[in-house]
Amino acid sequence: MARVTGFGRSMNSGRLLAIGRWLRRRAENLAALMLATMFVCFILQIVFRYVLNYPVGWTEEVSTLMWIWGVLWGAVFVLDEKDEVRFDIIYSAVRERTRRVFAVVTGVALVAAYAVSLPGATSYVTFMKVERSAYLGVRMDYLYSIFILFSVGAIVRYGWLTWRAMRGRGPDVEPGSGSAL
Amino acid sequence: MNPFSPFALTLWTILILGLFGLPIGHSMIVGSIIYLLITGLDLGTAAEQLLNGMYNSYVLLAVPLFLFAAELMNISKMTDKLLRFCDMLVGRFRGGLGHINIAQSIIFAGMSGSAIADVAGTGRISIDMMTRNQRYTVSYAAAITAASAVIGPIIPPSIPMVLYALISDASIGYLFFGGIIPGLLMALAQMVINTAMAHRRGFPVEKPIPVREWPRITFAALPALLMPVILLGGIYGGVMTPTEAAAVAAAYAFLVAVILYRNVSAADTYGAVLASARSTASIGMLIAGALVFNYVVTIENIPEVVRNILSGYNLSPFAFLLWVNVILLVLGCLLEGSTIILVILPIFIPTAKALGIDLVHFGVVTVFNIMIGLITPPYGLLLFIVSAISGAPLRHVIRDTTPFVLAMIVALAIITFIPETVLWLPRLMGYKG
Repeated sequence: MARVTGFGRSMNSGRLLAIGRWLRRRAENLAALMLATMFVCFILQIVFRYVLNYPVGWTEEVSTLMWIWGVLWGAVFVLDEKDEVRFDIIYSAVRERTRRVFAVVTGVALVAAYAVSLPGATSYVTFMKVERSAYLGVRMDYLYSIFILFSVGAIVRYGWLTWRAMRGRGPDVEPGSGSAL
Repeated sequence: MNPFSPFALTLWTILILGLFGLPIGHSMIVGSIIYLLITGLDLGTAAEQLLNGMYNSYVLLAVPLFLFAAELMNISKMTDKLLRFCDMLVGRFRGGLGHINIAQSIIFAGMSGSAIADVAGTGRISIDMMTRNQRYTVSYAAAITAASAVIGPIIPPSIPMVLYALISDASIGYLFFGGIIPGLLMALAQMVINTAMAHRRGFPVEKPIPVREWPRITFAALPALLMPVILLGGIYGGVMTPTEAAAVAAAYAFLVAVILYRNVSAADTYGAVLASARSTASIGMLIAGALVFNYVVTIENIPEVVRNILSGYNLSPFAFLLWVNVILLVLGCLLEGSTIILVILPIFIPTAKALGIDLVHFGVVTVFNIMIGLITPPYGLLLFIVSAISGAPLRHVIRDTTPFVLAMIVALAIITFIPETVLWLPRLMGYKG
């Protein structure tokens, strides 16, 4: 059971939650903006090619970029647990206590694997500074840096989920989570 | 196979993490990192495969755009007009509302590439309509709604076919055309079941709509009816690529909603954008995981190993297709569909090729099969959704869906063993397969 240790602390955690919610909204704004940008680029591309008879390539590059960034950004900062594509037949059938054990095992495995591969990933991304994108000439290490953000974000997110499960709060479940089919 | 080989350990990891509830995309990445660790390969390879794979798979951009188009169509309330139009066409037959539900799904399928978007957008309205005054049981309404939604990704556009195009290099345009007849066949199979049920259970007929009202109703539904024509016409005419068609679909839905129906607020639009961004991240994560894992599968040369094992059995193409269908139907009961397409199908494709099976035919058959998995228990995503929106207990929904599933399997057998049902239309459009 949570112990109330004084006014100051509960106010602090209340403020933290509020900040968390605020950040979440901004992360959502960004994800929505990325998708909207991708859409607008496509429309521009079609208009340029068929209406103005002047094909452009940069739209393709920007929309591809929005796709990568949108997915990796969204996966770590926007998705709720219920949006994730997971195999939940066993997971949703077991008792809350067992599910917490599952959350700890998977969380630790993810944090460990992502942390171990982070140096390799970073050196790959920084190595890509030698290449530039075809149309806009942007350095590829900038474009690919989202992967580092994604890895660190995933480590923090799953670290937090693991910690929460150890403290006694299991993940929320809802059968039939996430898919786009 | 050695149960402790690096590849086996990778599979174990993915399996255990997956069963323990880690999202499948992350499970595949973690498993692949373990493979890289054991085999001493560069750990940056995971990042490399994921980033380059996503950067170079331009066709995949159709996925978020089709999702966005479907979201926009849902907020524009085109559905109401469509339902009225379908009532006009099939309401007069016994079990009319069931037929309306199916007909509506066919038309919606021509605009959306996702079964889940279909149910999310029109499911509640269809179920409400059927259960008003207790004319149909809630579980039957839910069952037919789930079953008919499966038509969505078979009739083009289709998100799963975009995923299949990614792994097989088959042409999306021809896959789309290949899906039309099988989709209609699926609808026909469902209508047969609905007719049989209607006679057995004494379902009502709807009051026929007077002929003088037909032009007005058709006109109101016209914007929705035109969408498939624009999409397929544009792709066939070479005016746009299937990926661009997805953007055009979204733009069209937006214009119809904003200019014609004038019932969409800025908040609705933002909601639609955000919902699509969420689904994009969720399926994109799966694709990302599959890209990394498929690299491991390629290094291990698994598709070739499978091909060699299978060639030892001297399977005929038909026997192979039969086995693949059985395996996929079983997997469809347990796994989410896009996972099957991205992870399991690549293993079969070299064998299919070696046996001379046309990859467009193979794609349509396997997607058709995997979509049936959306309504087969225990893991049938659409069953969960319709049960949640209708309030009908899951087991009742499963009971009432069963006849539909069996009829759809019959339709699957037809398109599997008569390839012309799939390939006739693409060939008419110039496909040289």
